[in-house]
Amino acid sequence: MKITRSGYAGIAFTLALLILLPMLANGQWVKVFTSASCFTLAAAGVAFMYSRLGMVSLGQVALMGIGGWVMLRMNHAFNFPFEVNLIIAASVTMIFGWVLALPALKMRGLYLALITLMAAGGIEVILSTYRFPNGGTGFWGVIPSVAAPFRRPMIAASDSAYLQYVIVIVALCFALIDIHRRTAPGRAWAMIRRSEAAALASGVNIVYYKAWAFGLSGLLAGIAGALLAGSIGLLDAATFRASESIMLFALAVVGGARFWLGAVIAGILYRVLPALFNDWGLDADLTLIIFGAALLHAIITAPDGISGQIIGLTSKFKRGTP
Amino acid sequence: MIELDNLQVKFGGVVALDNVSATFNAPISGIIGPNGAGKTTTMNVISGFIQCPGKIFFDSQEVSLLAAHQRTRQGLRRSFQHEQLANDLSVRDNLRIVLDPLPGSAADKRNEITKALAFIEFTDRAEMLAAQLNTFQRRLVDIARCLVGNPKVIMLDEPCGGLTQEETTQIGNLILKIPAMCSATVLIIDHDVELIKRICTDTLVLDFGRCIAFGKTIEVLADPKVQAAYLGIEEIV
Repeated sequence: MKITRSGYAGIAFTLALLILLPMLANGQWVKVFTSASCFTLAAAGVAFMYSRLGMVSLGQVALMGIGGWVMLRMNHAFNFPFEVNLIIAASVTMIFGWVLALPALKMRGLYLALITLMAAGGIEVILSTYRFPNGGTGFWGVIPSVAAPFRRPMIAASDSAYLQYVIVIVALCFALIDIHRRTAPGRAWAMIRRSEAAALASGVNIVYYKAWAFGLSGLLAGIAGALLAGSIGLLDAATFRASESIMLFALAVVGGARFWLGAVIAGILYRVLPALFNDWGLDADLTLIIFGAALLHAIITAPDGISGQIIGLTSKFKRGTP
Repeated sequence: MIELDNLQVKFGGVVALDNVSATFNAPISGIIGPNGAGKTTTMNVISGFIQCPGKIFFDSQEVSLLAAHQRTRQGLRRSFQHEQLANDLSVRDNLRIVLDPLPGSAADKRNEITKALAFIEFTDRAEMLAAQLNTFQRRLVDIARCLVGNPKVIMLDEPCGGLTQEETTQIGNLILKIPAMCSATVLIIDHDVELIKRICTDTLVLDFGRCIAFGKTIEVLADPKVQAAYLGIEEIV
C-alpha cells in the first residue's frame, strides 16, 4: 500500500513529537500531553465515523471509560503484561461498540446521536456509582484508601517514556484507520454515506459494515481509555461524563473530521488549552467560550474544520497563489 | 433472462403493481409508462428494496427471497434516476465497491475494472475523484459500475436523465454495445420513447401498476392502448 503525502506528513509529525515533546515538556505537562494524545485517539474514532459514514456518535468518551475500567480491573486482578491488558480492554470496548451499533442499524442522524448519548448517560451513572477499580476486592475492586500501584509497560515506566509509548500507539491506530479508509470497508462506508440504497445496489452489507465501524470506533476508544488509565494509574468518573462525549465530538468537528490533523487539534483543544489557561492563572472554563466560538466558525465557514483550512492554505502556498 | 411472476405491490390503498408478469429474453428491453405507472417500483422490487408477493428469476434462478445486497452478488446491477457515485472516491474505487464482496483474485478484479473503464473510454481518468466529474461523465461511470463482476441483469433507471440530445445518443450507443461485452440482460426505464425505440428489442408498458402491453417495441408502441395511456393519443374503440 502506497504511503500518501498525508501519511508522510503524519510520520514526520509523529517523529517530531517523539523527539521534541519529552525534551520540551516537564512534570505535569508530560501528563497533559499524554492525556491529550489519548483524547486525540478517541476523537479520531468519532471523527472517522462522522466523516466516512455520516454517523454521529455521542458516546465516545463513555466508551473510553469502559476501556479504562477494564484496564484497571485487569491490572489489579491479574499479573498480565500491560499489552495483554490493553488488548483485552480494547476488545471489550469494541464489543460495547457493537452493542451501541444495534440501534444504528435502524436509526440515523439525530435519533442515532440521541441513542448514543443516552448510552453514554447510562455508562456515566454506572461509573459514578461503582467508580474505577483501584486494587480492592470483588468485581468492582474499589478500596476507599490509597490505590494499589499500576504496572506500566516495561519499556515505558517513566512518564516521558510512557508519553512516547502512547504517541506510537496513537500513530499506529491512525494507520489502522487509514488502512480501513483505503480498503473495502472504507469504500463500503463511502457508499453507505452517499446512499444506503446505492450501497445495497453495490452489494454492500450495510448491517455488517455499520457494525464494523462502531466496533472500530469502540476499539479506538478502548485503547484510548486504557492508555489514559496508564498515565496516572487511576481514573475518575467525572472524566467520562456524557457531556464530555458531546464536547469531544464538537471539537472533532472544529478540528476537522476528515483529516488526522483534525483529531490532533481536537485533542490539543480538549486537554492542552485548559491546562495552558490554568498555567496562566485563568479559569479553564473560559475555554468553553473559545470552543463555542470555534464550533460556530467551523459550522458557518469551515466545514472541514481548522485542519481543512490549514491544508487548504498549504495547497494554495504550494501552487504559488495568494 | 429475467422473469417476473405475478408481482403485487400495495402502498396503503394504492395498488402500485397489480399482478405484473413478464419474461425479458431480449438482450436489451425497456419498461415505459406514464408517471406513477409503477416503473421504478418494478425496478425496486427486482432490486429487493421492496418485498412483495410474486416471484423473480435471474436466468431461471429464483432470487425473490434474497436480500438486496445478495441479489447484487447474484449478478444484479442497477443505476438510479439520480446517479449515486461516492464523491470522495476515485472512479476506480467506485467500480471496486461492486467487486469487493465478490469472489475472485485481485488481478482478475483489476482486469475487469480496466475493461469496464475502457468500455466508457475512461482509462486515463481512473484516478479522478467522482466529485470532479460532470453529469455526463457520472452517468458513464454509473454504467461502468453495472458492467463489472459478471452481471446477469443490468437495470438502468433513466440513464439519460438530465443529458443533452447528443449525450443521450452517446449513452444509447454505449448501451447498444453492452450485449457484445457481457451476457447480461439489460432493462431500461426511460421516458424518451425515441431512445427506447432505438435500443430496446422488447418493451413492457405499465399503466396504474398494470401491464397493458408487452412484446416487440415497434408493435407495442403502435398499440392503441399504449398510445392512449402513454402517448396521450385517444384510444379508438
